[in-house]
Amino acid sequence: MESRSVSRQTANDTASGETRARPAGPGGVLWRHLIEPYLYLSPALVLIGLVMAVPLAIGISYSFQSITLLRPLDSGWVGLENYRDLWSDRKFWRAFANTFQWTFGSLAFQFGLGLGLALLLNTAFAGKRLIQALVFLPWAVPAFLSALTWAWLFNPVIGPIPHWLAALGLLDEAENILADPALAMWGPIVANIWFGIPFFAITLLAALQSIPGELYEAAEIDGASPWQSFTKITLPFLAPMIAITVMLRTIWIANFADLIFVMTGGGPADSTQILATYIFTTAFRKLDFGYASAIAVALLALLLVYAAVLMMIRQRLVRT
Amino acid sequence: MARMELNGIAKAYGTVEVMRDIDLVIEDGEFVVLVGPSGCGKSTLLRMIAGLEPITAGDFTIDGERMNEVPPRERDIAMVFQSYALYPHMDVARNMGFSMEIARAPAAERQGRVAAAARTLGLDTLLARLPRALSGGQRQRVAMGRAIVRDPRAFLFDEPLSNLDAALRVEMRLEIARLHRKLGATMVYVTHDQVEAMTLADRIVVLEAGRIRQIGAPLDLYERPANRFVAQFIGSPTMNILPVTAEAGAVRLADGSRIEMPQARPGASHLGIRPEHLEVTDPGEGQIVGTADVVEHLGSDTNIAVSVAGIGALMVRRQGTATLRPGDRIGLGIAPGKAHLFDAEGRALRPAPAD
Ligand SMILES: Nc1ncnc2c1ncn2[C@@H]1O[C@H](COP(=O)(O)OP(=O)(O)O)[C@@H](O)[C@H]1O
Ligand SMILES: [Mg+2]
Repeated sequence: MESRSVSRQTANDTASGETRARPAGPGGVLWRHLIEPYLYLSPALVLIGLVMAVPLAIGISYSFQSITLLRPLDSGWVGLENYRDLWSDRKFWRAFANTFQWTFGSLAFQFGLGLGLALLLNTAFAGKRLIQALVFLPWAVPAFLSALTWAWLFNPVIGPIPHWLAALGLLDEAENILADPALAMWGPIVANIWFGIPFFAITLLAALQSIPGELYEAAEIDGASPWQSFTKITLPFLAPMIAITVMLRTIWIANFADLIFVMTGGGPADSTQILATYIFTTAFRKLDFGYASAIAVALLALLLVYAAVLMMIRQRLVRT
Repeated sequence: MARMELNGIAKAYGTVEVMRDIDLVIEDGEFVVLVGPSGCGKSTLLRMIAGLEPITAGDFTIDGERMNEVPPRERDIAMVFQSYALYPHMDVARNMGFSMEIARAPAAERQGRVAAAARTLGLDTLLARLPRALSGGQRQRVAMGRAIVRDPRAFLFDEPLSNLDAALRVEMRLEIARLHRKLGATMVYVTHDQVEAMTLADRIVVLEAGRIRQIGAPLDLYERPANRFVAQFIGSPTMNILPVTAEAGAVRLADGSRIEMPQARPGASHLGIRPEHLEVTDPGEGQIVGTADVVEHLGSDTNIAVSVAGIGALMVRRQGTATLRPGDRIGLGIAPGKAHLFDAEGRALRPAPAD
């Protein structure tokens, strides 16, 4: 205790000593408030610039160039040509629409089922530890492997799912939905739901466990039914966490090409092509990096708009 | 209106029994205080009354209706928690009116009741604040306001003042007494502070290790404690307990002094005397002689720790100031009729004619 007060005093002394040593006047103020802080920040700024800003700038600059490895002599600046092509590209707009179906189809079920699981895991029941451990399992499996496994499950020759769906009357006959352009997207979506539930279950469970139990007791005494406790206490407490996880997850899913790439490769007939897989095939199959970069910039703009909207909603929720 | 009846209530967590044989009737409009040391089961008993804790055995009725399996929201009881349990995401007005919001009462009626309660508690200017922007005392008032707006048939309090500083505690204590007089509702109040118990209660229930040791009006417990535990728990400073040997019509202390007591009979093992019932005399007078060790001047009173050869330390309380100094030899006289006698099991021995 004594030594702490002594050291504090020393720190004060040094601080005042420094202030006195520095030249007074407008030049000193400029130095202290405008330049000095950035000097201290410069290592971090340089690092961020190197690993984030530079690649981003290079990527964006690619979208204004023609970089096709198959025609190396044609490369050079082309202005907005890539974007003009994009505007009239039917495949792009198809992938654009598919991205919405893929993202929000996956997200809604991942979130709904993840929240349900979190609520379940937040109650006391026998075998809870085992279930909690099992919940993590989909994460331990590499995405590539789960994609293959799900592709097999949907294959009527070796997998049971088509037969179950037919038995339930959801399918006319036990066919492979991955081969049906009208249904193919639901194959990777189902795999993605399975893959993404743990994320929501675990983050929402952590948020649930931070709600003081006494609030529920107070609400119960105030006459609240379980549903009213959920809507008036649980949801407001979860709202900030929901907003941030939904945002992160949306961005992640929109960029997540692995499952689709392995399960359908974007087909049949581009029916499962999303922007992320379209970028991938354009860049690495057609080797057209300029055009791929233009698609990537379009996807980035889309996600930025989405994030901004969600942040606005979040702020409104947190205020009330 | 609420008359509560607890018949043979017991509570066990798994195989651990924490409470048994609780028989208690709380009359309509009565202010009952549950008091006892930490861990004796006060909160558990209160939570069983509220319905937050299942009752392991026994019957609990309100106004003759069995309540054991009735959920809290149907018991029509309000509770003020020790930690207040305010909803942190709702402002003061919404916190206070939450029970009416739940019941979908008309907004105008709700605002009216909240405003009335806020006026009573001096919260008018704070209605738009969130709980985290309130002081401890203000939060405590909001918690009380929430209970008042609820307009229940009974109020439960679980150590509502234990997080407040001393001055605020006295103020809120008066506030609660005033509230009880104004509303006339049944109130059950848990505390470990015997001063709160003595000042607020119509009747006090003293608990120890999950069992009721005595039920009675505050002065009853003070003047006629049923056992050593209650005798020492009620009153401050604590009652002095001295081992004695019984003789006919008197007891003999360990230092050899003889004290006449009509209730003395074979089996008496301890004498209890409150610090305020020991009179300081000149050495040689009184029944006991000792040396003042510590003299605490409280202004209105003086506490004197006296060490007596063969007996040990005794606490003496004198009204007003005393000119004593540590090291002074003094005599102590036991005020006639004020000493208590207990048998080896700690039960109080009473003079034959009384009860
Ligand atoms: N959930 C629980 N599980 C097991 N024992 C408990 C639980 N809650 C309370 N107890 C025990 O019950 C006894 C009474 O606790 P409590 O009513 O909180 O005491 P008080 O409020 O008088 O301090 C204590 O011995 C405590 O350890
Ligand atoms: Mg307690």
